[in-house]
Amino acid sequence: MLVMCVALASSDPVRAQTFDLATLMQRMAQRKSGQARFTEERIVSGIDSPLTASGVLSYAAPDRFTRQTLQPTQETMAVQGRTLLLKRSGRTRQMDMDTVPELAALLDALRATLTGDSALLHRHFTVSLSGNDAQWTLRLLPADERLARQVQQIELVGQGADLRSIELRLTGGDRSLMLIEPLSPLAPAS
Amino acid sequence: MMNEPATRRWPQRAWPLALWAALLLLALLQIVRTPFTADLSAFLPASPDARQRLLIEQIHSGLPSRTLLMGISGGDGAARADASRALARALRDSGRFEQVNNGDAAGWAGFGQWLVDHRYALSPAVNAEHFSADGLRQAIAESLSLLGTPAGNAIKPLLDRDPSGEMQRIAESMIPAQSPRSVDGVWASRPKEGQPERALLMATIRAIGADIDAQAAAIAGVRQAFAPLAARGLTLQISGAPVFSVDSRSRIESEVRWLAIVGGLMMATLLLLAFASVAALAVAALPVVTGVVTGIAAVALGFGSVHGMTLGFGSALIGESVDYAIYYLIQARRDEQGRGGWRHWLLESWPTVRLGLLTSVCGFGALVFSGFPGLAQLGVFSVAGLIGAALATRFVLPALMPDGARGRGLRAPLGRLARAALRGLPRLRLPVLLLGLVAAVLLWQRGDLWRADLASLSPVPRAAIALDEALRADLTSSDSGTLVVVQGADVQTTLQRAEAAAERLEALIEQGRIGGFDSVTRFVPSLATQERRRASLPDTVTLKAALQQATAGGPLPAERLAPFLADVAQARQAAPLTPADLQGSAVAPLIDALLLRRADGSASALLPLQPLPGKDIDSAAVQQALQGLPEVQLLGIGQELGALYQRYLGQAQQQALLGAAGVVLLMALWLRSGRRLLAVCQPLVLAVLLSLGALAALGLQLGILHLVGLLLVVAVGSNYALFFDMLREAGLGDEGRRDDSSDDTLASLLLANLTTVASFGLLAFSSIPVLSAIGVVVAPGALLALVLAATFAPRAKTALPL
Repeated sequence: MLVMCVALASSDPVRAQTFDLATLMQRMAQRKSGQARFTEERIVSGIDSPLTASGVLSYAAPDRFTRQTLQPTQETMAVQGRTLLLKRSGRTRQMDMDTVPELAALLDALRATLTGDSALLHRHFTVSLSGNDAQWTLRLLPADERLARQVQQIELVGQGADLRSIELRLTGGDRSLMLIEPLSPLAPAS
Repeated sequence: MMNEPATRRWPQRAWPLALWAALLLLALLQIVRTPFTADLSAFLPASPDARQRLLIEQIHSGLPSRTLLMGISGGDGAARADASRALARALRDSGRFEQVNNGDAAGWAGFGQWLVDHRYALSPAVNAEHFSADGLRQAIAESLSLLGTPAGNAIKPLLDRDPSGEMQRIAESMIPAQSPRSVDGVWASRPKEGQPERALLMATIRAIGADIDAQAAAIAGVRQAFAPLAARGLTLQISGAPVFSVDSRSRIESEVRWLAIVGGLMMATLLLLAFASVAALAVAALPVVTGVVTGIAAVALGFGSVHGMTLGFGSALIGESVDYAIYYLIQARRDEQGRGGWRHWLLESWPTVRLGLLTSVCGFGALVFSGFPGLAQLGVFSVAGLIGAALATRFVLPALMPDGARGRGLRAPLGRLARAALRGLPRLRLPVLLLGLVAAVLLWQRGDLWRADLASLSPVPRAAIALDEALRADLTSSDSGTLVVVQGADVQTTLQRAEAAAERLEALIEQGRIGGFDSVTRFVPSLATQERRRASLPDTVTLKAALQQATAGGPLPAERLAPFLADVAQARQAAPLTPADLQGSAVAPLIDALLLRRADGSASALLPLQPLPGKDIDSAAVQQALQGLPEVQLLGIGQELGALYQRYLGQAQQQALLGAAGVVLLMALWLRSGRRLLAVCQPLVLAVLLSLGALAALGLQLGILHLVGLLLVVAVGSNYALFFDMLREAGLGDEGRRDDSSDDTLASLLLANLTTVASFGLLAFSSIPVLSAIGVVVAPGALLALVLAATFAPRAKTALPL
């Protein structure tokens, strides 16, 4: 199903138009749900070797997003609306995203990209898009001073309607790169 | 001064005057020594059960009673955030507040350090397994999983000291399910249609809730601290229980003042119209003053303090007690034949006045036994006041004006008016009876007549409540008003029981039944728990070995973790935390809020529950989860207050019935005739039915106070009915004088009724709900009682010349 959708999307007339943010957002908005596998590598100052993690992501429009880490330790972060659910070592905590605006901004960046909500994207970030439909890069710079104190930039790379990687650079020099491998029922990733 | 019979000399007249003056002086002395209050204590039960005691403790000295909620609006987000920080700083520096919170992390710096220092006593993760090689490996992996994210920035500086993540565990247990939105680093309101955006602050006043002067000073301090910020175009709104009690007090104070002034003026005008004599006015004021002073002194003696509301009720007492003076001054008047005078009054009218007094006392007396201190005060005040006024009339007035008041004023037209009315009114008997029947049917069908709740007794205006709700919704949306209360004979027992309850509540969070909860045991675990945690900390050699094993091949080398070894070694030697030792520390306000310690050493721990967003607390599930734990109770503050009110209402209904029965019994004993009793009761029953019917038809939510009002209608109305009974008997017995005397009696009745209606009517316009509810019922009810008493007055066989 998903592949068919993607196939339909790629034969869409919008492709003929020039590639801009509106086009990308429109394209992303057509995708209503998705599942992916991720691997993450974090480079942290003071820690000699990179920290790695892997797990599964899932998304359902308009406002559900789950990141389930399987390695090296199991934990789940689930966003539903403005509520964040954290599960670690059998303990569950729920919190309101708006109480931690920096966190809310990061999650909004992800949500806005996945749902094609450019207004939400512009609320927290200065946005620049490069590349073409086959390989695009969305660079987000924090517009808010408080967020800028923590986050230097976010770079999202995608192919068509698929998000393929998220790179987060923190102001202290730490950074993380998440590679995303879309999963679909018809074509399970190896 | 006045024309005096030779039989009565000065010494004879002097002794009642001297005694009266002496008693009045004593009463005044008592009043001067008594404090006046205006807090909400009048609304709480006098003899609470265990649950209610908790409720009262919460209302009197609990955190809510001392917490101010503040909103800053105007300007832009950044300006509001700056103002929030400036105001918070000023308030912290003032020293008046235990805790000032605006969401700014800076305010918690001391608290964070305290947590770090005591993390091995506080972390729920601490057990022997946690410090084994496997446990450490798992814990370190969890800590590292946050690095490289913004959240990691917070734990990175602590990594070498706390690789096992105790601080994360502590922080995690404190994440509220819902808390205020944060904008520009401080709390802010959620954007909502029609509401200005606000920066939000919360401050806990140091002084207890009952100390209204201190609360007023603290609130004034806040306004003063905000003044320079107001100049920048920002607006401050303050709410919370302290604001309510301070405002209520000043409202009650100003209300008492205007009620007294307007009430006094109204009485004076009526009396001047009736007597056209300043001397009569002065003399008529004496029983009133005596009544009010006696009433206040009696309340002072009985309750130790006098509530402002009771004083407000004083204006109603003025209207009641002036009646005695009116009866005396008119009825003791000497006619042209020289008949009358005080001796005549004592024989002819005093027994009826005395009976009227007794029935009134019966009515008000029912209130004395109310479990609701506010009403009990009104009862004592009225009973003592009426007795004082009647005795002053009986003993003092004859000494001063033995022949009543000479001036006639407007009494003749009043009497004529009354007589004309008396002639015409009986025609209304049938329509009134039918109306009464309709009212009875209407009331029978309306099951939900008594719908008012405890809030209807509160003197806080609706607009203030709306502001409070708006601020509260943005600020403490996690406050469900439901808490688990754990009790114990000493602090440690209480803490252990609270830990047992907290364990069950944790399970409810996992099951998604509740969002979260607070517990004092997060800051001060029981000694037993702290000891268990301390005992599970390994010695340095063992820990070092386990750490080597746990970090082998991992990204975090063991060599970096020397500070961790040092901290654990230190924690093994640390003295345990107790609530007493923490007095004055950064964590003290939190402990004081969640742990109530009493003088006898016993303690209660409060565990406020937070609902999941958009859901209510599932009380049944919580109740079931707590099953079997000793001294653990679930307390829903809203429900408890509701139950309390229902209890008051039930009690008040019984007392009102008893009071009414007492009135009837008294009249039966006096009249000794079923026919006369029936004639006297008929207008009373109809007056109550019609008043109640009118209130129901107007759609008013009836509460305890309306019930009290109805009781007073019976108590006051019985006086009128009895006078008509007396007139009828007099009409039979004393043919020769009936015209003049009955005219005057009618005039005095009408005048007495006017004063009552005027004084209760005045109360009806009070902004204090307790007073206005009584006034709204009694003013029309008393008028109705007089009219109906006249309508149903039995005609004498030889007939009054009606």
